[in-house]
Amino acid sequence: MAKISELLPRSAILLNLRSKEKFEVINELVGPLVATGSITEESEFVSAIARRENMESTGIGLGVAIPHARTKAVANTVLAFGRSDSGVDFNSLDGKPSHLIFLIAAPEEQKTEYIMTLARLSKLLRKDEVRIGLNKAGSPDDVVRVIVQHES
Amino acid sequence: MERILLYVEDTPGMPNAVGWALRLAKGMSCRVFALAVITPDAPRRRDTQASDAEEHAWSSLYEIEDDAFQQNVRISLLIETGDALQQLIDLSASYDAELIVASADCRLTCSELVRQSRRPVVFVK
Repeated sequence: MAKISELLPRSAILLNLRSKEKFEVINELVGPLVATGSITEESEFVSAIARRENMESTGIGLGVAIPHARTKAVANTVLAFGRSDSGVDFNSLDGKPSHLIFLIAAPEEQKTEYIMTLARLSKLLRKDEVRIGLNKAGSPDDVVRVIVQHES
Repeated sequence: MERILLYVEDTPGMPNAVGWALRLAKGMSCRVFALAVITPDAPRRRDTQASDAEEHAWSSLYEIEDDAFQQNVRISLLIETGDALQQLIDLSASYDAELIVASADCRLTCSELVRQSRRPVVFVK
């Protein structure tokens, strides 16, 4: 199974998110994944993400959110990462804004890889040193380095 | 009823408890808080085992989330470290859960949970 660092193209690492609102941020993160061809039907994917976001919070606390969807609009499991200095309201249970946002897109038929990617990423982001490293990262290469360093 | 706290543990009976809780939540249009607790003995194991325990707990939670999503049931995932019984009791109060659901074969001491909890508890076989 692919590692988190292998699923995150450098072109999908946005260290200065322009958007301030949840769905605008999601659209900003989806863009690079459409460009790489991993998301084949943008509007269908955004609808799937929106449906989940309207039902439940994907903010896991600690300043982290992981919006995610598994749908036919995706060709291969892939991630995008965005960082927001001001933070974005993802309705986290701890009530705090999310500064580190990982978007996961997976094909409908790859449920196991999707679940395992979510689990590995959630575990990784609970580590203080990972969040600190991602907050300090100055380039997409730095982001990948932090993840590689802490991925088991 | 608006909120159910589902205690998640890797036991053979867990899928029945999950299925029961999601059906109830769907029928009553209420929200599920799915809680997995990493037990205190995990850090005393080798690091890789403790890490695997957390990854396994997350994967169980996300499996349940995926099922809930397919059934249009609202769900929030919680993962905590510590004494499972105490976490369950504390979080049922802080999230104002009106019902606690656990599998009948969970490793909690059922009588202790019933005795200490201020919320109704259902053990699903």
